[in-house]
Amino acid sequence: MEYDKILEDLLGRKEFLIVGKSIIRTDALDKALGRAKYTSDYIQPGTVVVKEVYSTHPHALIKRLDTSAALEIPGVLAVYTGADVPGENQIGYAMPDQPFLCDEKVHFIGDPIAIVCAEDEYAAQEARDAVVVEYDPLPANFTIDETLAKDAIHIHEGGNIALTSRIRKGDVEKGFSEAKVEVEGTYETPYQDHAYIEPDVAYAFPEGAGKVTVIGAMQSPFLVREKVAGVLGWNLNQVRVIQALTGGAFGGKDDTGPLVSAKAAMAAVKLGRPAALVYDRFEVTAYTPKRFPSRIHLRTGVDKDGMLTATKVDIKLDCGAYANRAPYWLWRQTVHATGPYEVPNVHVDGTAVYTNKVFGGSYRGFGNLAVHFAVDSHMDRLANELGMDPVELRLRNVLTVGKRTASNQLLDHSVGIEECIRGVAEASDWAEIRKPRRKGNKVRGVGIGTAHHGISTSRGAPDWSAASVILNEDGSFTYRTSICELGQGTPIGHAKIVAEIVGAKMEAFHIEIPDTDTMANARPTHGSRGLALGGTAAADAALKLREQMVNTAATLFECEKDRIDLRNSMASCKDDPSKKMAFKELAHEMYVRGANPAAYGFFTPPRRFFDPETGLGVSYPAYTFAATVCEVEVDLETGQVEILKIWPAMDVGKAIDPLLIDGQIHGAISHGIGIALMESIRLDAGEVINPNLTDYVIPSSMDTPEVAESILVEKPYRHSAFGAKGVGEPAIISIVPAISNAIYHATGVSFNTIPITAERLHAALRRGGQ
Amino acid sequence: MKVSFQLNGKDIEVEAPGNRALLDLLRDDLGVKSVKKGCENGECGACTVLLDGAPVTSCLVLAPQVEGRAVTTIDGLVDDPFMVKLRQAFLEDGAIQCGFCTPGVLISSYALLKGNPKPTADEVKKAIEGNLCRCTGYVAIIKAILHASERI
Ligand code: FES
Ligand code: FES
Repeated sequence: MEYDKILEDLLGRKEFLIVGKSIIRTDALDKALGRAKYTSDYIQPGTVVVKEVYSTHPHALIKRLDTSAALEIPGVLAVYTGADVPGENQIGYAMPDQPFLCDEKVHFIGDPIAIVCAEDEYAAQEARDAVVVEYDPLPANFTIDETLAKDAIHIHEGGNIALTSRIRKGDVEKGFSEAKVEVEGTYETPYQDHAYIEPDVAYAFPEGAGKVTVIGAMQSPFLVREKVAGVLGWNLNQVRVIQALTGGAFGGKDDTGPLVSAKAAMAAVKLGRPAALVYDRFEVTAYTPKRFPSRIHLRTGVDKDGMLTATKVDIKLDCGAYANRAPYWLWRQTVHATGPYEVPNVHVDGTAVYTNKVFGGSYRGFGNLAVHFAVDSHMDRLANELGMDPVELRLRNVLTVGKRTASNQLLDHSVGIEECIRGVAEASDWAEIRKPRRKGNKVRGVGIGTAHHGISTSRGAPDWSAASVILNEDGSFTYRTSICELGQGTPIGHAKIVAEIVGAKMEAFHIEIPDTDTMANARPTHGSRGLALGGTAAADAALKLREQMVNTAATLFECEKDRIDLRNSMASCKDDPSKKMAFKELAHEMYVRGANPAAYGFFTPPRRFFDPETGLGVSYPAYTFAATVCEVEVDLETGQVEILKIWPAMDVGKAIDPLLIDGQIHGAISHGIGIALMESIRLDAGEVINPNLTDYVIPSSMDTPEVAESILVEKPYRHSAFGAKGVGEPAIISIVPAISNAIYHATGVSFNTIPITAERLHAALRRGGQ
Repeated sequence: MKVSFQLNGKDIEVEAPGNRALLDLLRDDLGVKSVKKGCENGECGACTVLLDGAPVTSCLVLAPQVEGRAVTTIDGLVDDPFMVKLRQAFLEDGAIQCGFCTPGVLISSYALLKGNPKPTADEVKKAIEGNLCRCTGYVAIIKAILHASERI
């Protein structure tokens, strides 16, 4: 079925009642009253306090591990090491390279070696310090070059390369020979910490001998279940995982959720008592996965007409100690390596390497932030060399329907990047504000950034989602998914889709928090899939329920099914206004007449071919596109950058809730400003030296620029409910190049490293530009 | 030691060690869960409460310091007309995402409007500078506070 057509084809009407209109979030009041419950709010007095013992060496063999002194401390209940893990002592996400508790070797400062369990915070803290670990230190590799050196020590068996990726499309050498202008550059992006305000947390309690419940902050309850069951050596149905409201995640809690949950669960099961693991800000900042740093070398050619002829890309991805999400990250970077532009000849090599540092992980925008920073910087440099306007150069090469991506995927629909670029150029009055403006030491500049971002899993890997909707006896509805509420409000989007399809009022809905005991795996809240896939599973459930409702109403009203109208929680017959019934009555009739009042939705997008050898084929089912214009003012004396205004545009497929989308765009702008200008986790010999929010500075209200009204382009994706595409991740990608290109425009300095701090800019200006 | 203070208008007395942070006293001993813990270091503002009407980060206030003083959390302001207006504006303008920062942000905004009912945008930004929000980018929060101020 083509889900974008639900409305016209099945509902028999053209206007939307709920979808497309902004509503007050269903969870906002509780949050505003301080009554919303996050994981730590569930923890009861008397809960066992769990803490981790972390490696203090970046790379070492564990010579001796002695827990006896720790166990003597009053209030200490247990200390568990790798030897105590009942199931598998392995918790790697994509590759089995990551011990759950290190028993032979540590790979970074912060690697977990043991967990201590105590009656209170103080005893746990004391016990953590009393665990004796003797190390045999090994040489450590901290940089990409160190780890790739011939004589470098191996961090994992099998060497320091975790994986590689490639694209071979056309003939790049021929492409470069046709180029009039070429530019080349190496672009580096740092670790970025998610800095969610709620620290990582998990609370576990045993239920009898063979069952454990975990409540936690996470993005994928079913991934957490799988990892907890693996560590315990249990079946999946012995582990119940509930995702409490989560105080921000941005990708990070997809990685940390399983790690903290499994530790709390192991303690709870072994001790037969409720147990909780709550991180402090230091642990969050120093030891949890970050945005993967990468180094991208790019060579791009363009002919005299401004048409791109060839792109050659070398991606070096720094995994840190474990591969974790690296395969997905690297492939995402690889197949997006040309940005949202058509290039006939493409050659990409990607290499993900291990180093002895905190490992990388999911973060909003995934690898695409780094890729688009590089590509869009090149577009401006090429435009400069050609003497062409940067917007014009982009428009000549931009992806449109009928064009092909870096991986040669033919785009046959849902491509709105051209409209995004034109939209922000027009809204910002591009031609006018690009004119040079300088007052004393202050000079203004304007730049544009663009983005494309694949939805769901890459390279045709299977993906699906599930959802459940129940019509209760009183006409109210209960909706459940395992797509998580992390602040972005995706489950509310699902409920709106369901409400639109079954013709209910939004007030009739209650959205249950995810609970793995109540439904089949709806898969994670990541990869920009929560709305596009999760919402379509919701639509599937809603369509099934609607059928039952329509059948019952048609019988009661003695009219044809296609003459039944459901709206505002009322059923009526279109031909006879006297025949109508509130959902409360309809629900009652359904229950007594044996019409199923509950429905289960399941959805998987169509899969198509991808060849990993050449890197060619269908990389993603669909793409979200975005463009941003940014205006900055640079102080030439100090190197200080002020962001004056941002104009955002996005092709969202279909806007389910414009206010929620605005929220995602605004939040992403802030994260983008953060990594473009100030945020960077700094390490010294593998140790994070700014592990708090004073030294790791994130944007505050003072850093908020003026943001123009979001331009929402709607090019529906055929296989998602109403055509919606994911927005939260793509929103960040075009921000960084828009900022750096604005600085380039203002100062003539094209940066290839972020963050562009005042010191860096000041130094570059003193060197005299380039 | 015993600490006596006013919590949301009610006189209370609790037993607490001298080094106990007000944040922990509120959350763990008194069950006031609306006060959030984000850093325990005065950096994030999630734990903001009013102490004698002025916003403070409760993670940096020790229990004995509140002796004889008035502590107000958003639970004590549910029906306060300023808070009602602020809350409504936050809801309508989409100023709440994950909500973890929200109680702290609302307390700081409330203190601002109480002292300065018609702030400029810059004054609003300044007033919530100590409240980090990683979700909203502050755009909707600033807008909502200005909206609430228009309605006062
Ligand atoms: S918890 Fe008090 S300021 Fe962060
Ligand atoms: S709404 Fe999530 S931190 Fe502010």
